[in-house]
Amino acid sequence: MRKYLLRRALFGLSTLLGVSLIVFVVLRILPGDPLVAMFGIEGFAKLAPADRAHIMADLGLSDPLPVQYVRWMRDIASGSLGRSFFRGDKVSELILHRGPISAEIGLMSVLISWLIGLPIGIVSAFRPNSLSDNVARTMSVLFLAIPGFWLGMLIVLAALFWFNYKAPLVVVQLWQDPWTNLQLVIGPALVLGLGQGAYIARMSRSCLLEVIREDYVRTARAKGLQEALVVMRHALPNALLPVVTLSGILMGFVLGGSVAVEQAFGVPGLGRSLVVAVIERDTIVVQNLVLLYSVIFVFVNVAVDLSYAWLDPRIHYR
Amino acid sequence: MKNGLGVGAMEVARGADLPQRSVARELSAFTRRNPLAAAGGLVGFLIVVMALTAPLIAPSDPLKADFRRMAKPPDATSFFGTDQVGRDTLSRVIYGARSSLVVAFASVLLGTTVGSLWGVASGYLGGRFDLVSQRITEVLQSFPDLILAMAISMAIGTGMPAVIIAIAVTRIPFGNRVIRSVALTVRELSYVEAARAAGSSQPRVMFHHVLPQCVAPYLVLATAHLGVAIIIEAALGFLGVGIPPPTPTWGNMLADSLTSLVPRWWLVFFPGLAITVTVLAFNLFGDGVRDTLDPRLAPAFLRMLTGGRRA
Repeated sequence: MRKYLLRRALFGLSTLLGVSLIVFVVLRILPGDPLVAMFGIEGFAKLAPADRAHIMADLGLSDPLPVQYVRWMRDIASGSLGRSFFRGDKVSELILHRGPISAEIGLMSVLISWLIGLPIGIVSAFRPNSLSDNVARTMSVLFLAIPGFWLGMLIVLAALFWFNYKAPLVVVQLWQDPWTNLQLVIGPALVLGLGQGAYIARMSRSCLLEVIREDYVRTARAKGLQEALVVMRHALPNALLPVVTLSGILMGFVLGGSVAVEQAFGVPGLGRSLVVAVIERDTIVVQNLVLLYSVIFVFVNVAVDLSYAWLDPRIHYR
Repeated sequence: MKNGLGVGAMEVARGADLPQRSVARELSAFTRRNPLAAAGGLVGFLIVVMALTAPLIAPSDPLKADFRRMAKPPDATSFFGTDQVGRDTLSRVIYGARSSLVVAFASVLLGTTVGSLWGVASGYLGGRFDLVSQRITEVLQSFPDLILAMAISMAIGTGMPAVIIAIAVTRIPFGNRVIRSVALTVRELSYVEAARAAGSSQPRVMFHHVLPQCVAPYLVLATAHLGVAIIIEAALGFLGVGIPPPTPTWGNMLADSLTSLVPRWWLVFFPGLAITVTVLAFNLFGDGVRDTLDPRLAPAFLRMLTGGRRA
């Protein structure tokens, strides 16, 4: 087990190294000059060439690429992650300030997706092709097609109309004011949760239907167990594994989706920072945030892999 | 990998005694088996027609501002209302279909094709090439789709080609993985072995004998990803890194609606509805294509697409 853990961790680490290289290279082939983004075209034209070179050197952009890459890795190792071009503050501070909100949104959305998706999947598989199954399937097909950020905008619109809702502008952490914080995160979490829930419902239905055909389920029925017990005790645990995997893969959907959904709700989370940094061409911030999102994605999927041994006693890692 | 073997075996069996049927018969059979998918296909087709004939059916010029009719709610002259500078929302939604569809089709075609060819090569050739390819795919799949698309589109600039490339790159790993697994099993089939024994060159075996078996899964993949591509395109537009205004896209129309102090419901509702209907239509059609091309494999295939890491 420990050996497997080590191997999996090393594998994940090497993947992330590849990720960091790709992010770095992609962001350095920027055709636009970051100084143009900083000063505007006119401001850029007014700058003397010496000043330009000076500022570029200040930002660390005039060094050869390998030097810049090594410096980035050193910044990561030191925990500061480098400084934003525009505000001069450390990216690590930005993440510590904005991150908790986005993390809350992400975690809560996964919770919501299971709370909604799994029961619906079970009910659907219980009576395939019944009215409730058809309603559930129609809903999940529908929610797979609705873009989360649009649903978010509609919710904001409705809230404005009926409750005189105002978009939150400041970060309120959970430990500062739980109630205000909840108002901040519940909308995005719900929207993302519904989107994932549709996948979860679909997957748990199809996996349950597959498992229900197995012999041991028939045996359970034959010995006179109630249908509810058959499903909950015998079928469900074996149908869950692919659903857990799917949930891990949906993390990509959550991470990417949260960027757009935070924008729709006007929630000042990490996704908002990423959007602003992309538009301002704040390369240092973007490269760190993109890497962070990938780190989370990879980490979650390694965790999902490891959870297999716990969920299915037949699996042993060596 | 039993599902992969299924594809190979089934395709071989089919190719041998496929009855020649007319397109109309084929279509009507498809409709009878998958009425929902057929409806999706029909709606999708109508949206494509709408995009192609936009200049004919749009009631007015999508770029023409009319300062006498600014931010008007839907009424008899403009069914979907007008935006902050008096442009007709209905016309903009109709023209928006053009960018959405061009980006979706082009990026899925590009991404899936590159991914599939790469997958055939890495599955068939195996060895070190396969190993390296798998590592690169692993890295590409470690990015959340939208985030990777944002970074690429930031790097190579906004505009349609940039958006197409950005979305296409996110589709490559899917094509690569699925088609590679097909190629891995087809490689072991006896007719491929026979071709090799007869002295065919590697590229010849790859293109003439292995590639044709990948067509069905390729089509399934491509149709399955159209909806996702449309959503990513809209999200990029919404976040301000997609096709920039004034070209109307559904995404940048939604972004536009946020600029006014009081959001107008019609500026939010209609572009988003267009996205939803289009994605729904393509998803339903895609499901039908999947069920038709590999009925026995549908659940396994779904798992391969979604939980492919250890399929």
